[in-house]
Amino acid sequence: MLPLALSDVAISFPGLAQPVLSIDHLEVPAGGRLAVTGASGSGKSTFVNLVSGLERPDTGAIRWDGTDITTLSESRRDLWRAQNVGLVMQDFHLFPGLAAIDNVLLPARLARAATAEVKSRAHELLSRVGLARPEQSVETMSRGEMQRVAVARALLRRPGVLIADEPTASLDAEAGAEVGQLLLELANQEGATLIVVSHDERLTERLDRRIRLADGHIVADTAMRASS
Amino acid sequence: MIRFVLADLRRLWAASLVIVLLVALATALGVAVTLQERALRLGSARAADKFDLIVGAPGSETQLVLSSVFLQPAALPLMPGEVLTKLIADPRVAWAAPIGFGDNFQGYPIVGTTTALISGTTTGFSQGQMFAREGEAMVGSGVDLPIGAEVKPMHGAAGEGGETHAESIYHVVGKLQPTGTAWDRAVLVPIQAVWHIHGLGEDHDHEEAGHDEHEAADHEDEAGEEHHHGHIDADAPLDEDFDHEVPGLPAVLVKPKTIADAYALRQAYRTGEGTRAVFPAEVLTGLYATLGDARAVLMYVAYGAQTLVAAALMLIAVIHVAQRRKQIGALRAFGAPRLAVFGIVWLELLLLVAIGVGAGFGLGYGAAEFLAGLFTAQSGVHMPVEFTKSDAALAATFLAVAALMAALPAALAYRQSPVEALRG
Repeated sequence: MLPLALSDVAISFPGLAQPVLSIDHLEVPAGGRLAVTGASGSGKSTFVNLVSGLERPDTGAIRWDGTDITTLSESRRDLWRAQNVGLVMQDFHLFPGLAAIDNVLLPARLARAATAEVKSRAHELLSRVGLARPEQSVETMSRGEMQRVAVARALLRRPGVLIADEPTASLDAEAGAEVGQLLLELANQEGATLIVVSHDERLTERLDRRIRLADGHIVADTAMRASS
Repeated sequence: MIRFVLADLRRLWAASLVIVLLVALATALGVAVTLQERALRLGSARAADKFDLIVGAPGSETQLVLSSVFLQPAALPLMPGEVLTKLIADPRVAWAAPIGFGDNFQGYPIVGTTTALISGTTTGFSQGQMFAREGEAMVGSGVDLPIGAEVKPMHGAAGEGGETHAESIYHVVGKLQPTGTAWDRAVLVPIQAVWHIHGLGEDHDHEEAGHDEHEAADHEDEAGEEHHHGHIDADAPLDEDFDHEVPGLPAVLVKPKTIADAYALRQAYRTGEGTRAVFPAEVLTGLYATLGDARAVLMYVAYGAQTLVAAALMLIAVIHVAQRRKQIGALRAFGAPRLAVFGIVWLELLLLVAIGVGAGFGLGYGAAEFLAGLFTAQSGVHMPVEFTKSDAALAATFLAVAALMAALPAALAYRQSPVEALRG
């Protein structure tokens, strides 16, 4: 469970006059649940990339529980992300040819972190997301099932923060609702800070707080009713 | 990581197979050339091993060796028979034996010689015994004739309008153990029989008569002079006393007592009148130089093919990495270390090349073995197709180059920004 603090963060891309994202101040408490909305091009994806350490801002500090990830080298950020961040993306990014369980374990295996404990946790997570056949190949799954595998993968190494980028956008309404529910439940059970970037009102309205981005700035910041 | 690589290769099995085949064929080309050339060298050197010094009439040294060691049919000039008499009497000579050829039977060359040569160049009999009478013959291990078979010598090759020596028949009395030389395909008969068939020897009226393969073709012109056919006296005892009135001979194999004697003898008969003395090993060395040039050309062709395949592989690998940038970016995003990404791409390529190189060595060996088999069937010379340490070095070099080259696409994957990959 990690608290997040952004200060004076700005990032520009070459050829664009305006910064794509500029946030003077944002804090999310440990275990907080933040929804990020906005039109496409508003800077949502850049926000995910910055707070997950995939990208470094031009200026400013991004602190997760005191660790300013903007000061880490690329390899150190990879390591930090592997240990602290669970990512769920719109396109699942599962690897064809591998079984569900192997997909869940793949990043941990590549990082040489797949201990026996991690493996048994992978099985447990698969059953918690409602998948009974860990050896099933991911190509044979429905999109909803695939995203559940991705959720299990994100939670494998007990991340302090779970970041979901449009987790329901490529799913039908029913599957999307199930995955949204799973994210909320599991983040709560695991005690992870949750950041969800989404257009999906039914998902975002269930989080504690919602910010709206436009042209790289926070234009609205709404506290929602606590639902858990 | 291995599991991921294997799953990936399994998924892309068709493309993987094509890559493996490309590498295998390019490798096999070089391996087959190397092995084949080595086999030819080793095989011919071993075939000539027992042939220390050959004395013949002046002419092509190469032809003298090819005809006497490898029994290649050719027109050899004759030298006077006294040369043999002198050689046998020479104290520097352990033994000397005439080699007379020209006839054949069912494609097997018939070679007239003596018991001294057979004892000196072979390891013994697998069946039967040495010829003891003029009408008896022995066959090499590669001759498909049983003991007791009849051999009707034919003068000249059948395809060239050769003729049989009517009424002259040898009976096979012995079969020799394999020697791995061209002589395995020969029918060995007493030299006196060859002389008698051609009307030489006792009636010694034609010292010039050829044991000439092409004589049949010249038949019309020189029939009167050359063809004075006699018959063998099948039951006549073996006469290996060559101290008088020996007919002309194409070649004499000489076994010197010492190496110094060998050089002295060569010197004596090289400068002697009407003779030429050669070390087959030395003539072969000259041939190997030519062979080496041919090998070099073929190897350049093989290197060219390998370079093309390597370039094609690089292209495929770089395109492949570009196509999979999303996947690679995702791996990084989910926490795979950059080195792991590098390792996956590197290992995947290296594995394919390693399988290809392995298969290529197998394929090259098979091809060389096949060609050697054909050659052995035709000539009788055993061709040992074998790997040496230098081949292991070659394989290691291939893999090292592959490891270096695979590092390029792997580095591309390593350097790729996960954000850009996921965005694209």
